[in-house]
Amino acid sequence: MGGLWRPGWRRVALCGWRWRPLGRPTCVAERVERWLKPERSGTGGAGTPGPRLIGTWRRSSLARDLAVAARRPKSTNPQARAQEEEWRRRNKTVLTYMAAAAVGMLGASYAAVPLYRLYCQTTGLGGSVAAGHSTDQIENMVPVKDRIIKVTFNADVHASLQWNFRPQQTEIYVVPGETALAFYKAKNPTDKPIIGISTYNVVPFEAGQYFNKIQCFCFEEQRLNPQEEVDMPVFFYIDPEFAEDPRMVNVDLITLSYTFFEAKEGHQLPIPGYN
Amino acid sequence: MSTAMNFGSKSFQPRPPDKGSFPLDHFGECKRFQEKFMKCLRDNQFENALCRHESKDYLECRMQRQLMAQEPLEKLGFGDLVDGKAGKH
Repeated sequence: MGGLWRPGWRRVALCGWRWRPLGRPTCVAERVERWLKPERSGTGGAGTPGPRLIGTWRRSSLARDLAVAARRPKSTNPQARAQEEEWRRRNKTVLTYMAAAAVGMLGASYAAVPLYRLYCQTTGLGGSVAAGHSTDQIENMVPVKDRIIKVTFNADVHASLQWNFRPQQTEIYVVPGETALAFYKAKNPTDKPIIGISTYNVVPFEAGQYFNKIQCFCFEEQRLNPQEEVDMPVFFYIDPEFAEDPRMVNVDLITLSYTFFEAKEGHQLPIPGYN
Repeated sequence: MSTAMNFGSKSFQPRPPDKGSFPLDHFGECKRFQEKFMKCLRDNQFENALCRHESKDYLECRMQRQLMAQEPLEKLGFGDLVDGKAGKH
C-alpha cells in the first residue's frame, strides 16, 4: 500500500477529510495500519510476513478486528489460556450458587409467615395466649395472698362518640387467683340512641396474658337510649401463675383501659383472635 | 389492641371474655347492690378481698334478673363464700 499512493492521499483514504498533511497519525485507522505494517516488530504479526510483503492491503472491517481482538484471550500462551478457561468456569459456578441463594431467600421470605406463627405459638412470645384457662381453673384456683397488685382503670371514648364514659373506681387492690368486680359508668347525654362498642387494653403487655376477664361489656354492641346512664361491670381475675413468672416479679401495677367507639348499623366487628 | 407498628416488640392481643358480655342493666335493677359494693370498696381503701360478699350479692342479683347467665358460684371463684364461712381475709 505504501508505495502506490501518494502519502497525502493515503491519509485521506484512511481518515477521511479530517486530516493533517504533516505530523503523527491522527486517526485510528491510520494507527492500526501502521501496526499492521510488516516492518513493525511488535507482539502481533509473528510468523506471517508473506501476504503483507505482496503489498495487498486488506482493509477488513476495523471494527470487527478490534472486537475480535477484545474477546480473544489476552495471551496466546496455552497455559494462560487454560487458566482463563478455569476462571470462566469458576465464575459460572459462583453465579449459579448466587442465583440459587437469591431464589432460596425469596422462598424463605414466603415461608416465614406460617413459620413465625408456629414459633410464636410454641414459645408464647408476642403476648399470645398462655396455657388455656377454663372455668374449672377458676373453681380450683388458690389466691396468692402475698402478692398484692394494684389495678387502675382508665376510660376513653372515640372523638365521634358522645358518651360520658368513666370508671367508678380509680384503683382496686387484688391478688392473683381472686375474682374481682369493677364498674364503669356510661351516660348518653344526647337525644338519640347511640350504639357503642368497646375494646380494652392492658399494660404492661406481658401482664396482659395473665389478665382474664370472665365477663365484661366489650366487643359487643351496647345501646344507650337518650339520657340513659348505666353501670357496666367487669368481672375479672389475674391468673395465679402470674406470681410464678420471673418476668412479672417487678410488676405491681396493671392498668386496664377501655375505649368506646361508635358502632354503625349493620357493621360487624371481628372477634379478636388470630383466625 | 396496640397500634405500635414495630414487628419485633410484643404487642397486646385482646381476648374475648370467657363468658361473653354482660347485658346492660337498663332499668337499674341491681343498682342497689352496686352502690353497696362501691361503698364497701371506698370504706376499705379499694381492697377487693374485703368486699367479696358484696360482689357476690351483685352477681346473684344479676343472675336472678336474667342479666347474667346462671352459674354456680364456685365457678365464679366464690367457692369459699358459698359455704357460709365468714369473709376471707
